[in-house]
Amino acid sequence: MELKIRKNGNNYIIDVNGEMDLYNSYKLKELVMKMLEKKVERFIINLENVDYIDSSGIGALIYICSTIKKMSLKLIITNIHGSVKKVIELTKLMGYFPITNSIEEAILQMED
Amino acid sequence: MADKTYLSDIKEIRVDENSPLFDKTGMLYKEFPSDYRQIRYFTLLIVQSAPLEIKEINLLEQQISEVIKNGVKHGNRCEASKKVRVWYSFDSTHAHLIVQDEGEGFKDLEKWNEFNRNRLEILSAQDFEKLSDYVSFRTQKSDDNDGGNALFAALEYWNGGFVFNEARNAVAMLKSFPQKKHAIG
Repeated sequence: MELKIRKNGNNYIIDVNGEMDLYNSYKLKELVMKMLEKKVERFIINLENVDYIDSSGIGALIYICSTIKKMSLKLIITNIHGSVKKVIELTKLMGYFPITNSIEEAILQMED
Repeated sequence: MADKTYLSDIKEIRVDENSPLFDKTGMLYKEFPSDYRQIRYFTLLIVQSAPLEIKEINLLEQQISEVIKNGVKHGNRCEASKKVRVWYSFDSTHAHLIVQDEGEGFKDLEKWNEFNRNRLEILSAQDFEKLSDYVSFRTQKSDDNDGGNALFAALEYWNGGFVFNEARNAVAMLKSFPQKKHAIG
């Protein structure tokens, strides 16, 4: 799994590439925690290039989401598709995560 | 507004040693050491015998990987000398697995069912504030890498049942795949 950060205005987009599984999901968690230390306030997690997620990956997203919610900062998860979407649906968390269909939509929603 | 679909069919993890899902007749068999680093590899060794017609093979692989992980980590506590034994059979209509470890069994099964029932009630009430406390099932032995959510999905995915034996160290599961309807005449 590879993580890349790019900036769009005040939004930090994290592009996740690869599989979010039991061996590497912690990396995303660690990255977000480091960014929080650096006072980043608006996160967009882009899962366009993620075709596999397991319970550790879902757990990492839950941890990130609840930490950011508690701090009253902003997070949007975007481009969820295929089996990643299925796993989130099976876990019944589609309503829990802040989700948009595209990065453009996420950026628009950040402004609300 | 309350969404009652979550409550219409609350599923539970059952204990039933006599379930037909524990019938191993005609099933293939592999056994693995409890090596955490190889869980996904072991899973691939199993999944490679699934027919290509099965759609969402990624999802099947993920669901099998979770059950093997539970055996390796929570059952056998990653003690390499302890084995995880897997019986499996696949065709285009179904996936049937039995996974057994050498651990002390899933002691918190009743607690898990209660937790899941509460979770579904909160989902039904659309109370996303309270849901935060019910997104992850934790025990004293949980660590940071445990998502605590694998069994929520498992119970939904394995639509033909997800059943433990009396010792609670073996679980049998069945998934029926939707079939294409062929036009007649």
